[in-house]
Amino acid sequence: MGQSITRQARWVAVSAAAGLVLLAACAPPSDDDDGSVAESGTVKVGFLSPVTGPVAAAGIEMREGWELYWQEHGETVGEITVETIFEDDAGNPDTALTKAKRLIEEEQVDVIVGPLLANTALAVADYVTRAGIPSLQPVTAADDLTQRKHHPLLLRAGSYTGSQMNFPGGQWAYEQGHRRAITLCPDYAFGWESCAGFVRAFTAAGGEIVDQLWFPLGTQDFSPYVTEMRGTDADIAFVTSAGGADGPTFVRTYHDFGLTDQLPLLTNCCAMDQATLRDVGELAEGIHSVSYWAEGRDSPAVQGFVQAYKQAYGKLPSLNVAGGYLTAEVLARALETAGGEATAEELIDAASSIRFEESLYGPLRYDEYNNPVGPVYIRVVERNSDGEYWNVPVETYEDVSQFWTFDPEEYLQQPPYDREHTGQ
Amino acid sequence: MTRLARPGRLVTLPRVALLVTLALAVAVPYVLRSYYVSILALAFIAGLLAASVNMLAGQMHLVSIGHAGIAASAAYAVGWASHHGYGHATQLALALVVTLAVSAVYGVTSMRTSGIFFLMVTLALGMVVFGLTYRLSRVTGGENGLPGIWRPPVVAEMWQFYYLCLAVLVLAVLALRVVERSPFGLVLRGIRDSESRMSSLGYSVAANKFVAMIMSGVVAGTAGVLSVWHAEFVSPASADFLRSALAVIMVIVGGVGTWLGPLIGAGLVTGAEHLLSTHVERWPTVLGLVFIAVVLFAPNGIVGAARDLAGRLRRSRARRGHPETDTSAGTPPAATEDSVTSSAPNR
Amino acid sequence: MDFEVLLVHSLNGLSYGALLFLVASGFTLIFGLLRIVNLAHGAFYLLGAYLGLATVAATGNFLFGVLVAAFVVSGLGLSLERSLLKRVRGKELPEVLLTIGIAFVIADLCLAIFGGDPQSMVTPSALSGAVGLGSLTYPRYRLGLVLVAVLIAVALYLLQRHTKIGAIVRAGVDDREMAAAMGINIDRVFTGMFAFGAALAGFAGVIGAGLLPVRPGVDIEILLFALVVVIIGGLGSVKGAAVGSVLIGLIDAYSKVWVPEFSYFTVFAPMALVLVFRPVGLFGRTA
Repeated sequence: MGQSITRQARWVAVSAAAGLVLLAACAPPSDDDDGSVAESGTVKVGFLSPVTGPVAAAGIEMREGWELYWQEHGETVGEITVETIFEDDAGNPDTALTKAKRLIEEEQVDVIVGPLLANTALAVADYVTRAGIPSLQPVTAADDLTQRKHHPLLLRAGSYTGSQMNFPGGQWAYEQGHRRAITLCPDYAFGWESCAGFVRAFTAAGGEIVDQLWFPLGTQDFSPYVTEMRGTDADIAFVTSAGGADGPTFVRTYHDFGLTDQLPLLTNCCAMDQATLRDVGELAEGIHSVSYWAEGRDSPAVQGFVQAYKQAYGKLPSLNVAGGYLTAEVLARALETAGGEATAEELIDAASSIRFEESLYGPLRYDEYNNPVGPVYIRVVERNSDGEYWNVPVETYEDVSQFWTFDPEEYLQQPPYDREHTGQ
Repeated sequence: MTRLARPGRLVTLPRVALLVTLALAVAVPYVLRSYYVSILALAFIAGLLAASVNMLAGQMHLVSIGHAGIAASAAYAVGWASHHGYGHATQLALALVVTLAVSAVYGVTSMRTSGIFFLMVTLALGMVVFGLTYRLSRVTGGENGLPGIWRPPVVAEMWQFYYLCLAVLVLAVLALRVVERSPFGLVLRGIRDSESRMSSLGYSVAANKFVAMIMSGVVAGTAGVLSVWHAEFVSPASADFLRSALAVIMVIVGGVGTWLGPLIGAGLVTGAEHLLSTHVERWPTVLGLVFIAVVLFAPNGIVGAARDLAGRLRRSRARRGHPETDTSAGTPPAATEDSVTSSAPNR
Repeated sequence: MDFEVLLVHSLNGLSYGALLFLVASGFTLIFGLLRIVNLAHGAFYLLGAYLGLATVAATGNFLFGVLVAAFVVSGLGLSLERSLLKRVRGKELPEVLLTIGIAFVIADLCLAIFGGDPQSMVTPSALSGAVGLGSLTYPRYRLGLVLVAVLIAVALYLLQRHTKIGAIVRAGVDDREMAAAMGINIDRVFTGMFAFGAALAGFAGVIGAGLLPVRPGVDIEILLFALVVVIIGGLGSVKGAAVGSVLIGLIDAYSKVWVPEFSYFTVFAPMALVLVFRPVGLFGRTA
């Protein structure tokens, strides 16, 4: 019995090996690639975002923002038609990669928009740029996409980097008279970068960081951290979340433990985003946060957009919606400038040379790393005339770059932010 | 006596069908576009992981719901080595060392457990690996993972890589079959049937379980290396509980203990995850319903159901055609098709 | 660390542990009698939470929300047990796959119906706000949660020890064939227990929604914690679930503060230790 197995096994193995050697010589036909972005007057956009899984809410909102723009302006830019193909990456890097492959190889898309989560974006970026396809990032805040891993075919269209959007927070905290801060951030890249932004600016201004708390992914119960914050002698708490349930959970716990009146709080964009406010708006009223997006900002561009979104979806737009919308606007303007015959590089060049007088975020332009430079707002949660809670700016920091006041080259010499390199 | 599968037969499917399938698999890159080739390669890799789970589940009734942890460890070893400038041979060597080490830890912690407790130990170990991928962020890149892990130049193209995956899968399945038919396989099944009997016969149950875990781990580690080369990227998602659970699901859906079952299960689940999800937004619901359907209508897995069906057809044909060769009286349907146990002459 | 802060941390752990107990008790009861590892338990929790939230939003009545959630989820559990689980009773792997399939369907449909935004429960005013504890305050809802868990634990104990149905269940756990031979309709007992376990999960979901917002992914998170608690405490033992949940709750609370570097492992390490040194769990029985 054993002998016949081994004989058969050997037979199969040998024939397989032989077959493979033969095949190695003959390559199957490869997929063709064309040079210009819009063939036959249509630009195909591959839109990657999570619509199932834990971050489905944010992924769906990103899509809504994108679609809203095209609904308002029509799906054409001059002579060019923009066709979007949506794929679900489920918040998973491997799925994101497969879907990116499908979009590029099967659907032959000309531009990739998304994905949302930082890890999925980094996974996909390598592949997409190697395939020579331009990509626009609507929401991803991963610092490195426009720093150590920046690429001429990649533009962060609709969001700021994690550290960039929080630098002004540190500055503001100091200007408000705070000198000792305690921070609470998620224990992974987004959290490290966000906290580092605040910490760098705060310490550069002269403040001191009393303690830094890091909460692991999947934390359900914030009471240990809030209890620690209760015992601290800091005069301000800076709290970050990546959106989702962390924001409401934290606000609720902060309130339950009576800290709302005891310890001034500054949060990042996403802890005070609409997802939080829809859930615990009452408890959040009066809390300050720092972000590039403020849905309560009194500007025609913003309020027009807010009204349009509210009519279509019945709620106020979050940062994900704004990112999707702005990215669509960026693509439209880039196509206008570059035209349908543009190559991938030309398209991104056109995009990065856009100067908005008044975008959703205010006056906006892009730096040589393809990252936005623009205002950052200190916002406060207020109740609007419809009884909803939203973020209204109380202070504006103009022209914030991803390098803050530091020299880009020096900045990039330093290692990426993590638990040890926290910006101090 | 009923017609048992002949002892010594390598395959239970007719040889022709198998060759045809292999030929089709080989022809795929010439027929399908690169995207589908890459999905199939993913299915092969998933099948490899499922086969490693199946080895323990089928031979020993030990269901590991943490095997993605072993695969991910190997993947990270390759990733780390790649990031530090080591060549592909070194990457593979490091992956092997890490796989053996992690499998050894799995083995030592689990070798004295069985049944539900084995499941829980492996669950815990898988989650520990997952936690480590976040914790050791200097090494693993934390949540963002490690990008830019290039394949060896000889398999740089997807179609070449596809053949590599196919070859590795075929070799692994063959190797697992050889183990299954070997005296060691007999010992494993003996332990499955009665640990006390085996230990009273002088076998060290724990040591054998340990060795089985190492073997299974090596196959899982291979899957891990291939997966990191497929994506050219590794992140904590590779060690996620869901990955391990899906591997177990693939085995159950396909048919525990059969060599073909895990592959079919892998194809089904991979297809749903990547192909179905493009067209159906509620694909998790569809997948869940498929699982329920499989349990209701094919409780022995798809392969088990196919065998039952084949057995029934054969018997009804025999009854109609040649009454004197009707050997079905008093035979439980499953006995004729049980390739796992029928090879052992001492049953 | 001064005593009051330690007390607060302990209460944090106890209140989180209380929620875990509510989830784990249903899970362990189902396993104890039916020998099913109900991987849909997290999905039952999720569904219960959403149903409770919707009911409270519609009626403003917290108690009503709790009842609706427990009742509906229990009914779902009952029908699932009778139509699906019964068919594969005793076959472990098909049971695992079946409960996973059910979990997939429930979780995805919840996403489709209720959306992906996190949703918190508006807690009844009687349980909102904080209570004075020396110089500190502590949230009333959390204390209420501990109280509820204790009440449930006592009720379960009394049910098990001092009622006829409890005796029947214990008989069924010990030796189901014998129980059936004694004329007990063991089938119905099984179905009833599954429905009861599901009810507990749904109940826990509503109560938990006052502590942690409900969103996709909570089902898997809570299931993993329940598994850990039950492994430590011993599969099938409610006492074990109580001890295990208190232990895990406290470990979670303390470790986040004192050893945050190990926060990923602090929950799974005790489980691994128990599995290595006493695989049946602290109060489990070797089947």
